[in-house]
Amino acid sequence: MHIPDGYLSPQTCVAAYAVAVPTWAVASRKVEKVVLTRNVPLLAVSAALSFLIMMFNVPIPDGTSAHAVGAVIIAIVLGPWAAVLAVSVALLFQALLFGDGGILAYGANVVNMAVVMPFAGWWTYRALAGRSALTSRRRTLAAGLGGYVGINAAALATAVEFGLQPGLFHDADGTALYAPYDLSQAIPAMALPHLTIVGVGEAILTAGVLAYLVRTDPSRLAPSHDDVLARQNTPTQNGAQDGELVGRAGRGFLRSPGRAAVGAMAVLVALVPLGLLAPGGAFGEDAPEELDLGELGLRAVPEGLDRFYGFWSHTLLADYGFADGSHAQMAYWLSAVLGIAVVGATVLAVGRVLETVHGRGTAGSEGPGSDCPAPGGSR
Amino acid sequence: MSVPRADGLGPARSSSAQALPQWLSQNEPGLPPCERSGRRLRTTFLDRTLAEGSDLLRRALSAQDVATRDGLLQRRDPRAKLLGLFVLLLAVALVHDLRTLAAAHLLVLGAALASRVPVRSFLARIWLAVPAFTAVAVLPATLSVVTPGEVLVPLWSWHGTAHGPTVQGLTVAARILLRATTSVSLATLVAVTTPWPRLLAALRSLGLPSMFVLVVGMAHRYLLLLLGSVIDLYQARRARTLTRRAGRRRSHDRQARRFLAASTGVLFGRAHRMSEEVHQAMTARGYRGDVPLPATCRVAGRDVAALFAVAAVAAALLIGDRALGS
Repeated sequence: MHIPDGYLSPQTCVAAYAVAVPTWAVASRKVEKVVLTRNVPLLAVSAALSFLIMMFNVPIPDGTSAHAVGAVIIAIVLGPWAAVLAVSVALLFQALLFGDGGILAYGANVVNMAVVMPFAGWWTYRALAGRSALTSRRRTLAAGLGGYVGINAAALATAVEFGLQPGLFHDADGTALYAPYDLSQAIPAMALPHLTIVGVGEAILTAGVLAYLVRTDPSRLAPSHDDVLARQNTPTQNGAQDGELVGRAGRGFLRSPGRAAVGAMAVLVALVPLGLLAPGGAFGEDAPEELDLGELGLRAVPEGLDRFYGFWSHTLLADYGFADGSHAQMAYWLSAVLGIAVVGATVLAVGRVLETVHGRGTAGSEGPGSDCPAPGGSR
Repeated sequence: MSVPRADGLGPARSSSAQALPQWLSQNEPGLPPCERSGRRLRTTFLDRTLAEGSDLLRRALSAQDVATRDGLLQRRDPRAKLLGLFVLLLAVALVHDLRTLAAAHLLVLGAALASRVPVRSFLARIWLAVPAFTAVAVLPATLSVVTPGEVLVPLWSWHGTAHGPTVQGLTVAARILLRATTSVSLATLVAVTTPWPRLLAALRSLGLPSMFVLVVGMAHRYLLLLLGSVIDLYQARRARTLTRRAGRRRSHDRQARRFLAASTGVLFGRAHRMSEEVHQAMTARGYRGDVPLPATCRVAGRDVAALFAVAAVAAALLIGDRALGS
């Protein structure tokens, strides 16, 4: 999954860096916030560990083998933000020292394997494990599925990056300048081995390591499982400090309306390229004159449709363009940005209202700085 | 230079201190090598992992060996090298004509020769390891199914249309292959001609946050240590394991998987403990969270000149590409 240089256009690489750099900034702030000095050696050894995990070839029941990335198990043990940094450093080694993964493409590799993967895996794990005990089978299974979902999400992100290349970057006769496979080819090509073989490898590793740690050394899990451990009343020697170091992510993340709005928009924008995959037009969006009346068993355009079609025509950017049709490209982009802003603002407003209503309901039960999760609020 | 210190040893000492003495690594002439006689043992994925691990270690050390030779690139400031690398990578990413890409590749090989990099192993590393993967990945792109165009050799026909490799498809594949190989050879060349601590110092003075550079430096140090741990774990297990030679594959692999999960778990524990000890050692030596900057020497005029030369090469590649393309 390590993308070498040459597969992605420089523009894509710049875009990927534009995602990776702010994520690093947030991650280092999150990890740095509480204990300033401890995290340096912790991150260093985790990065080394991640590098080593990527070296292991896991045998799969069909006789082949695949290497795991390990981002999800690191996220489970240390928290997802620490995993972002640790896997990024491991990827930097591979790019600089061993030529595995490109340098221009480093940002893209970071987005796929050090951002998308740990977070997708971590959220899956948290959602599935719920409030089960550390030793429960459900938690092990959740870890395995987290690894499976994580690596498949990373593979999908990689495939989308590949798949966008031929459409956007080709020479005059349509020959691809970078990766040649379009989305309809890149996504199945990446999904097939990852859904079947590589995902299973990652799941085996993630579940196996978690099961081993739970069995032999549960205190190592303290950083990201302080809530579970606290419920079990298992005293750990350094749970409190480590818990504050990396344990906050994921919990209550979406409870701030601003973050929820930004998060929802980011997910939607990231999914936009998938629209290129869909053939044909959108169902039920045809103008009356575009309707195939014969196929629908109609003789004429229904009266109501005819009357109310075009009822409201005072739009700002009709058909995603200016009224006089000039600067089509720019108007299209403007429409996109405006649309994102409007939807984001709406989600934000709804969130604020919900927060106010919810805040009134629970204000008495949860004081400021309380360490307990709000009732029903966190997973 | 505090960042290199975090890495432990200087480049010159590390190769001599960590390498085995020569008499120990030589095979005794009269004795056959172990395990070669008799039936061939089935290698498990663990053997392969171990082999890869020691190979990694060897490569990391031999890279340091090349970095201390006297050559074209070794004499340049690492900052200039990193900037030049970035400029050239961009240029290689922006040129599209096969002839320009081939010229860029030859230039890199010339620079490798002038830097006294062992060319055979350099070429083997780049042309065997890297494009092996890339070639497989781009092979389907040569066919008319992916890249429609002028079919060179019709292999099969579908609904009356002949399919097979196309001129355009071969161009696409060659372009990716050459571009990927040239980019990798550029990065590899800079990596093998620059001692690791100096590369880190250069990253730091080019604006990477000092915390990040410190983490990278320490991770490199503990990578070798943890790798030693893995090899110890594996050898200890092997030394204590008695199995029939031709065990059933399935249970064999299952055991190997279980061992893999357990050893990764052990590694997590060791890594965590190690980080605590290192942290205590760092605090004991006065670490308060801020990293003293390595003394940055001024960039010499020659390095600036070299950077200009690199920029000129990049510009020449781009202009040449435009001229060939039109």
